[in-house]
Amino acid sequence: MLSSSHSPETTSFSKDLRQFLYGRECPLEEIPFSEQLIRDHVSAGWINLTDGIQTSGDGFFSSITGRKKYLCVRCGNANFAAFASITCGRCGRNCVYCRHCLNMGVIRSCTKLATWIGPAPDRAVPTPEEKLCAWSGNLSPEQTKAAAELDSALSEGDSFLIWAVTGAGKTELLFPAVEHALLRGERVVLSTPRTDVVRELYPRIKAAFPEIPVSALYGGSSERQPEAPLVIATTHQLIRFHRYFDRVIIDEVDAFPYHFDPMLAYAVKKAAKKGASIAYLSATPPADLKNAFLSGKLRGVKISRRYHGFPLPVPRFMWTGNWPQSLRKGVLPKSFIEWVRGKNAADRPLFCFVPSVRLAHLVTELLQKEGFASVAGVHAQDPNRHEKVTAFREGRIRILVTTTILERGVTVPGAEAAVFGADDPVFDERALVQISGRVGRSADRPDGDIVFFHNGKTLEMIRARRHIEQMNREGGF
Amino acid sequence: MNGLVCLICGQDRQERMTFRTLLSADSSPGFCRTCREKFVKIPQGHSCRLCGRDLGLMDEKFISGSVCTDCRRWEKSGGNGCFGRNIALYSYNDWMKEVITTFKFRGDAALAVGFRKEFRAAGRKIIGKDWRTHWERLRNGKHHPRETCVIVPMPLSGNRLKERGFNQAEVLAELIGEPVVPALCRIGGERKQSKKNRRERLESGENPFKLDEAFSEVLHGTKVLLIDDIYTTGATLRRAAAAFERADPKCVDSLTLIHG
Repeated sequence: MLSSSHSPETTSFSKDLRQFLYGRECPLEEIPFSEQLIRDHVSAGWINLTDGIQTSGDGFFSSITGRKKYLCVRCGNANFAAFASITCGRCGRNCVYCRHCLNMGVIRSCTKLATWIGPAPDRAVPTPEEKLCAWSGNLSPEQTKAAAELDSALSEGDSFLIWAVTGAGKTELLFPAVEHALLRGERVVLSTPRTDVVRELYPRIKAAFPEIPVSALYGGSSERQPEAPLVIATTHQLIRFHRYFDRVIIDEVDAFPYHFDPMLAYAVKKAAKKGASIAYLSATPPADLKNAFLSGKLRGVKISRRYHGFPLPVPRFMWTGNWPQSLRKGVLPKSFIEWVRGKNAADRPLFCFVPSVRLAHLVTELLQKEGFASVAGVHAQDPNRHEKVTAFREGRIRILVTTTILERGVTVPGAEAAVFGADDPVFDERALVQISGRVGRSADRPDGDIVFFHNGKTLEMIRARRHIEQMNREGGF
Repeated sequence: MNGLVCLICGQDRQERMTFRTLLSADSSPGFCRTCREKFVKIPQGHSCRLCGRDLGLMDEKFISGSVCTDCRRWEKSGGNGCFGRNIALYSYNDWMKEVITTFKFRGDAALAVGFRKEFRAAGRKIIGKDWRTHWERLRNGKHHPRETCVIVPMPLSGNRLKERGFNQAEVLAELIGEPVVPALCRIGGERKQSKKNRRERLESGENPFKLDEAFSEVLHGTKVLLIDDIYTTGATLRRAAAAFERADPKCVDSLTLIHG
């Protein structure tokens, strides 16, 4: 190797540039530093450049068809249909670009992605005597055991699955493991597919770790702190990181869209350092994690008892007749109306889950017509969604008609739930178990009614009920 | 690209099955019906004769003889020069704004393909290559010498082209399927039109457009069709038209995707 005039040891690099680029992956033209400076850093071996889109045109099939395979290095998209080409104004050639991650800035074949590969910045390691976690509650015996196992697994660098029933107190049992990781000076990210969950977690985590800067990242978030060792983020936001986190915790790992969009799993993999351990949390783990856990390939723990020690409410099935037809006629099925009337008289807040946005509007309207006063409907595109959920929590709205967006992450004490049209294919086992988990979460009202209104039992409904009964049996009821 | 999936929303396009869709081998990418219906088309029978805006969206008092007040003002001020008329296909609305932002500023050039059918038809009609003109020519029996028409996209300055990666007007011009002549160039890193207000647009000084001398001979005595993505005040298009004056074309018309 030729010895260059300045080796990495002798000359110094720009600290600002390092701070900007460390742990990130950034298109070259988006780095706010002079071209000359960046070029110097590249030739000194502090910055690595990779092609934004990797092309592979070899192989028998592609040599015949002339069709190439592309891979977007930023988002992991390899679907041929999600690429398009354009005569590029920058390089003057025919350039392929990725349409999948377009709203984070376009990645073309001529784009170079820069990552910092020079010396890592020093981190402020808290003194070991310090107590970082200010949470003063008590963990149940199950939680304590799970927390200890999680802590030892993450310390040893193993991935871990926490399979805990809804309302088991998953967040709290993370605290010991997170505290130890922070004491070792590691960067921890708590990530989840849902913005609502990030918004709910942020104040709780911040209260638990008052001494540590905490950053919350989601679309449109304002709590960004550049050097925070503890980050709470949606999985979408992780795409901006590159080999940055030592510990990754994914909450609600089965929630939409994590298992529908391979980009998110790719983002998590890329944001974590090589060999970083990942903790998965879920009440209804997806098949691959479940099988890995059951066959012993993945360490993990199953918590089948809620933190308050009461069993999970088991759903009841109630036949409504042909509900799509009754709705077309503009009437709600009788059994449903009577149930709602009974619960409303008993003054319990009610969740009413419906299969689609259209039905959310319709059922809300029909319930209002029936004379129920404080009814509201929410769905994902509803601009007032957060206000309505807050109003429901505070008791100003008594009946909340919702699509499956509120199936997780929302806790309303004493709430009961109905699933209207539970035979719709939208409601699979996972969704129905999560919905049943909305009921009986608080210690002072651990019971509650959960009813599936259907026109013919589906396999998924029966599986959901079996799942809950099985968990109760394992919990010793 | 996958022709069965909508370019905007990524959902199944669910085109109605007709003999034409069944028999044609064409499966070019496009928009689905729901996305397409959110665009507001300009009815060509009821649009301003000069700028192509939808007169149905205007107050009656701003229209005189199927020309809008803005165009009357242009006529009076004598700012038209050799600029003839503009034809626009869609009105600007929030949905169009969203789509155009993705197309222009996020760099999703493939979206233009979704407008191909309409844009191509409108372009060919102006340059006299649609079936109706062909039919007329056949029927009249006389051998008309065909009028030549040169398609010129609105240029971007070098810096902007580098920043954006492509010229949206050029992408649109190529949809027509006829040779495109890059006869204009734009000098100087001027401020974006979309960041200025009406007065600033109308009053800014020197003409940023320049005719490439190599093409001035080709353009002499022909029709010129300028292509751009959006007609807002018409100032940019008129300046571009003014740059042609040296070559003395027969007239300069323009075709834009949007009026807004």
